[in-house]
Amino acid sequence: MKYKFLSYIFFSFSLLVMMSSCKEEEYAIPTLPQKLQNDVIKRTLGPNLTGLNIEFAYAMALPKSMGKLVSAQVEASIGGAEATYMDNKSYYTNSSGVDVGIEVGSKSVNDGGKTTVTFTKDTMAATLRYFYRIPSSAKGQEVTFKFSANASNGETVTYSMGPYKIAEMDMVLDLDVKDSSAAYISIENMAVYNPTQAAANAAKIDLVYLYRVIPNVTFTHGLVAPSAKTYLPGVTLPAGVNRTAKIQKVWALRDFHLARLQYGIYIDDLDFQQLDLSTAVDYAINLRAEAGTWVETADGKYRAYIYVNSINNATKSAKISMKRYTMK
Amino acid sequence: MIACKEDFPVYEDGLLITTRTQCYVSSFEMLGSDLQTVRTSNAIVDTTAMTVNVEVFYGTDLKNVYPQFSLVTDAKLEPKITGKVDFSDLANPKKYTVISGNRKVRKTYTVNVTVQKP
Repeated sequence: MKYKFLSYIFFSFSLLVMMSSCKEEEYAIPTLPQKLQNDVIKRTLGPNLTGLNIEFAYAMALPKSMGKLVSAQVEASIGGAEATYMDNKSYYTNSSGVDVGIEVGSKSVNDGGKTTVTFTKDTMAATLRYFYRIPSSAKGQEVTFKFSANASNGETVTYSMGPYKIAEMDMVLDLDVKDSSAAYISIENMAVYNPTQAAANAAKIDLVYLYRVIPNVTFTHGLVAPSAKTYLPGVTLPAGVNRTAKIQKVWALRDFHLARLQYGIYIDDLDFQQLDLSTAVDYAINLRAEAGTWVETADGKYRAYIYVNSINNATKSAKISMKRYTMK
Repeated sequence: MIACKEDFPVYEDGLLITTRTQCYVSSFEMLGSDLQTVRTSNAIVDTTAMTVNVEVFYGTDLKNVYPQFSLVTDAKLEPKITGKVDFSDLANPKKYTVISGNRKVRKTYTVNVTVQKP
């Protein structure tokens, strides 16, 4: 009985081994399809902001015996801004890692949403880069792209990309703020004003930039709402500048668009939508370079992220960049 | 099929009740909304008087701070800290109770916060 049981175990085990073994397939060199082919990759990451590019690399090729490339075109569902173009160079990366472009066609022509490059070199394979400059008319909408290529034998191939959502956010880069002069920041206008200009735009001033060295405390660079008088020592506000704001300090949120550093962090519409500043204060002091602040205007109409690109203690100034979202 | 002998009962949040009777705060940290420390110097933890005295930077947003207690092994804290805490009522300091590993010793610490003055 015992041996019978053991043989049963052995049989079951060997069956299991046999079932799990697999036959190794022999490698075969792929055969080249005898037709025009294409492929696309999107090169840009992160949210798509008005004024920035969406970049694609469009590759197309056909066997040499079948002809050559005639033209490549991209049709965007929403026409790009004026700066939209398709590069007329095909790139390769040299041994030093540098992309070297070789001209293969005429300069691209924009016609409505369509951008075309006509090949001028006898070529059977090329990868062209397409830069779609997001127009302000596309804000909040979705955009799709239809890439196509034509060959001399009459063949045409197409490749669709998208849809891509265009962000609602606005962005402004590198605003120079300076203590007691260019010190008044308007989120609505996304601009910095001096005291005279601030008085003229008093209802739109949300923040005051200041730099202070106060004995025994760490103050340095601050972004303070006009309502937070305690944190505006020695500041005489221009007439009518009295708004409050909700401000929250953040550290190491180096948005790629604002900071332009190596960190792949992006602030998107969703971050503004989900932001909760209900308990936030109306000031942020002791700001350093690469710090930031979330801000909500007094009327709740705008939310913004202000990033400190750089500071200068000697000149009592800083360089800031801003992403702003209009609440609905 | 695999039976295991239960040495200690598992308490809430997966914390074990052990035989340890020690019950104290070993260190204290306080972070601001930017997750950077708001302390001007090390917090002074008095395990006899059961106080934690901490001075924070001028301008600290005390409504939105993250206190962090380091406790002796196996001890737990009550109430639990799950996120931002409002320490802005300086006249009524917040109290936290440390409970020993055997859950028999309870010590209530008072966190006294002072703000740096110009």
